[in-house]
Amino acid sequence: MTVPVVARPKPLQLVDTRVYVVNKDNYEQFVKQFTDENGELAYVALAIKDYENLALNIADIKRFIEQQNEIIVYYESAMKKEDEDGTEKP
Amino acid sequence: MLSKVLIGVLIAMLGMGYWYYTTTQKRISILTENNVKLEVAAKVSEDSIKALTKQAETNQKLTLQLQNDLQKAEAYGDNLRKKLRELDLLADAIRDASNLEGRMNGATAKLWRDFMESSGNSTDVPLPNWLQSDSRKGNTSSNPDTKSDSTSSSEAQTSPAG
Repeated sequence: MTVPVVARPKPLQLVDTRVYVVNKDNYEQFVKQFTDENGELAYVALAIKDYENLALNIADIKRFIEQQNEIIVYYESAMKKEDEDGTEKP
Repeated sequence: MLSKVLIGVLIAMLGMGYWYYTTTQKRISILTENNVKLEVAAKVSEDSIKALTKQAETNQKLTLQLQNDLQKAEAYGDNLRKKLRELDLLADAIRDASNLEGRMNGATAKLWRDFMESSGNSTDVPLPNWLQSDSRKGNTSSNPDTKSDSTSSSEAQTSPAG
């Protein structure tokens, strides 16, 4: 059975995100700078441990996407070889 | 009388000879035909074996390549876990917040670019302003001896322009 190789999905177009590291010593400076830059003092805070967990979660998602990608490449290569050989895979 | 018997025997022998000849010829013809068929079948089998062997070799190569690539994909997470074990981010945050912030933002920017690249986006996206010129931060690159990539959930629109 021959299956046409379909186009890959549109590539990712990600936007940058900024992290602020705040402790009691630089908190006032952070408040001032943040308010100057964003107009309002409203932010999402993460504990260091949660930041680590978030990073680990993203790393695992990255691993999964890359492995899925490799599996797609594997199937594409197998299909290509099949076409070249003119043989059919079971 | 004897000659008639001899003639009869001779005729019978000739008949038998003729029968033997035609039967043998027919058998030879059938066997030749079978031989040709067997040769063709053997050739087909041989070709099939060659094709299957080649296919098996190709599959083995592709499978090995896949195993290697799957293993490679584990490297980033393994490396990150190792770094997080080795580092004490809390202590780093207390000791030098801006240095840690720079490292985090650098790693975050690198992570997003890695994602884009692995999805097929080859655009060279410039680093954000806060990584290019912010003196408040420490190391702004994705420092290899730092941790991770952040995943700050703040949206792009809310990101300050440093």
